Amino acid sequence: MRTPLLPTAVVGSYSIPSWLERVKNDYLLRRVSRRDLEEIHDMAVKAAIKDQEVAGVDIVSDGELRRDNMIDYFAERLPGVQIDHASKRFYYDFYDSVVRGRMPTGSLGLVEELRFLRRFTERRVKISVTGPHSLVKRIRNEHYGSEEAFALDIARVMNLELRELVKAGATDIQIDEPYYSGFPEDLPWGVAAVNALVEGVAAWVSLHVCYGNRYGKPAWEGSYRYLFPAILAARVQQLTLEFGRRGEDDVRLFQEFDPPFHLGLGVVDVKSHDVESPPVVAERIRTALAIVPAERLSVNPDCGCLHLPRDVAFAKLAAMVEGTRLVRRELGA
Amino acid sequence: MIVHVNHLDKGLAGPAAEALGALLDLIEAGRVDPRLLPALRVHLDWIQYRANFREPVSVRRAVDARGEPLTLAEIAVDLRQAPPERVGEAFSRAFAALGPDAPPDDERFPLEPFRPVREGLIWQFNRLFWQRLDQWEAAAGRGFEQALPSGRSDANHPEAVADSVADFWTLLRDADKRGQLPADLFALEIGVGSGTRAALWLDRFKALDEERGTGYYPRLRFLLGDYAQPTLDRALAAVAAHREQVSVLAMDALNPFRTLSFLRYKVLFVHLTNVYDNLAHDELVRRDGRLYLVEARAHLRRDEAERIAQDAGLTVGGLERAVGLLLEVGPDALGDRARGTAFWRSVWAAVRLEERLVALDDLVDAPLPAGLDQSHLEDLLAEAPADVRFHLSRGAAESFVNTLPLLHPRGYLQVQDIFVTTMDEYRQGFRGPGKLDGSVVTWVNGALLRAVGARTGYDVHFAPFRYRPGSRTSILYTTQRD
Repeated sequence: MRTPLLPTAVVGSYSIPSWLERVKNDYLLRRVSRRDLEEIHDMAVKAAIKDQEVAGVDIVSDGELRRDNMIDYFAERLPGVQIDHASKRFYYDFYDSVVRGRMPTGSLGLVEELRFLRRFTERRVKISVTGPHSLVKRIRNEHYGSEEAFALDIARVMNLELRELVKAGATDIQIDEPYYSGFPEDLPWGVAAVNALVEGVAAWVSLHVCYGNRYGKPAWEGSYRYLFPAILAARVQQLTLEFGRRGEDDVRLFQEFDPPFHLGLGVVDVKSHDVESPPVVAERIRTALAIVPAERLSVNPDCGCLHLPRDVAFAKLAAMVEGTRLVRRELGA
Repeated sequence: MIVHVNHLDKGLAGPAAEALGALLDLIEAGRVDPRLLPALRVHLDWIQYRANFREPVSVRRAVDARGEPLTLAEIAVDLRQAPPERVGEAFSRAFAALGPDAPPDDERFPLEPFRPVREGLIWQFNRLFWQRLDQWEAAAGRGFEQALPSGRSDANHPEAVADSVADFWTLLRDADKRGQLPADLFALEIGVGSGTRAALWLDRFKALDEERGTGYYPRLRFLLGDYAQPTLDRALAAVAAHREQVSVLAMDALNPFRTLSFLRYKVLFVHLTNVYDNLAHDELVRRDGRLYLVEARAHLRRDEAERIAQDAGLTVGGLERAVGLLLEVGPDALGDRARGTAFWRSVWAAVRLEERLVALDDLVDAPLPAGLDQSHLEDLLAEAPADVRFHLSRGAAESFVNTLPLLHPRGYLQVQDIFVTTMDEYRQGFRGPGKLDGSVVTWVNGALLRAVGARTGYDVHFAPFRYRPGSRTSILYTTQRD
């Protein structure tokens, strides 16, 4: 399918139904088998893909419904990371995880996810990975001499996975680095780790930075000004940022610093159950268009929709798509 | 028959032995229908509240959703109230009331039908008290804080206030160091009482800020929220020295977010003292794996109803209507204010609750407040003893859920109140409701709030209120879940 002007995309996760929450918790408590859980995940992913298609989203994901949360899914798969499986009761809690030696290389299993996703949609698809900086902030380091060294080694291991993804047909990869907002002083080495991660990865890479979305609430507050100018060194094609909840003031940073990136404009607030109307979405896009040309703008929610009820998540995506269409029509696209 | 001894403190042995002896004597004498015994629970309680809504010995029948009787029945004894020499007689009456041929009860004058506790008349009395506080206090001849069991409110303890200010100042300084201090520093007090605490807090904060030269006080936006305008007026006068920093807001403690949605994720500190214990609750009972909702109806004992009616120049038949008028319009509706207030105080002093247990077919039938779902209740029941009666602190949970979205990512909520902090504690006594001078007080299910917090990204902790020896108050505080 041809991608239209102002493409719409999800940031990654889709609504996790309460019944899936229970199944995941029951799995942790050994009441559900791994095999049953995987089958349930497959069914839920298919439904999430369909929902995104029906809502009219141009670039879809698998809804990340297989993932407990953005950290544990990778901590469990990164070779050399040790997990205390008794350390959490709810699937969305974080495991106590630790690295005690140099990480060997190994598959993270994302290629299988990509293949499954592509089997069930004709649309452009996106795969998201948690960035090295965010992982370093949650996995206890008992080996590397610094957080930076740890992050760079995570990037080395994950870079191989991204290259495998590209070989398997991935065209859109997103790196999630919300912890930048909590630790702005880390940005120079955080960006270096992202650059190591995407080295030689021939795909459209977007870097998603928000203010956190754990339990559907922000972990930090502030202004994206902290990103500049350090972020300008990132070798990515797009920055995907949160504006729906926070307002569009920080879009001006794109005017002030003229970064070489496209902008993924967050237009719906995933921390509120109030559904934005298409005209509100359209107005947010128009505000951004005063600064960023349409050719360099895509439209997305502020972050993943995992904490929203399914009907709310669907309505927000549909409003996002309809609001974008209103603007496209004004642009004659 | 199962006998539950629900209290472990000193002073129990004598009255408990008397009650148990009287009970066994009745059974041995064949004065108890043997069909009742297999499903009978007898609870020996020591009610903490000196004034409460219970008879010394009361009977609770279990019924299904249509009101048809089930086999489970309970007799509850308040060992503190029940005179040892008359407990046997009280047991006899209780057994008679449970039997299939029980005569109609004409000893009680009901003021309402059975209904869930949250909807009961006592909460309407509670609302009237806060709306007409001045009238009650004038008639009582003392302020409501002086009428508390301890004679004063823990809210105003200077050392506790100083520590609270120090914690807040430390939060500001840490955020400041990281360059993350917002321009406006919002703090919110919900349920303002006399305003004394807010005034103390502001005085202390101003002094500390000046002493450290941090310049936070001028940026402080201190919000006082309460649903009763007379209370807000009184509080505003108390904080007159800080008018530039203070705003008052009429708000429903059940949903602060509705009033303050424009401050979502912006409030750095929210504080409440003895608000949750004054919000409507329900009670659930689990017996033999089955869940029951407690329903209650307010009544007056016949002799007291007659006395109150006579004093007010009414007939007993006119009492129910008069109480309705009082609750709807206020004391003025009963002729003149003094007469109306006297009637109000008499009814309040005499009102009692009769209870029954209504079986719930499923957890989904439990009356959960907005913001809670079945999974919260499941979490709670998973940690609860098998046989338990506990509060579903609806008002507290609703208020809690609707306050959290106001908190800045680094902000925190602090609540001084009487909390049951684990479900196990419910095995060790009846936790309310109790009767204060004009208002309702009930322990708050802290374990429920902890379960709710866990699913919204907050860890909920409890610390004893260490500032007054013997205080039963705890301090709930939230931390962001790591």
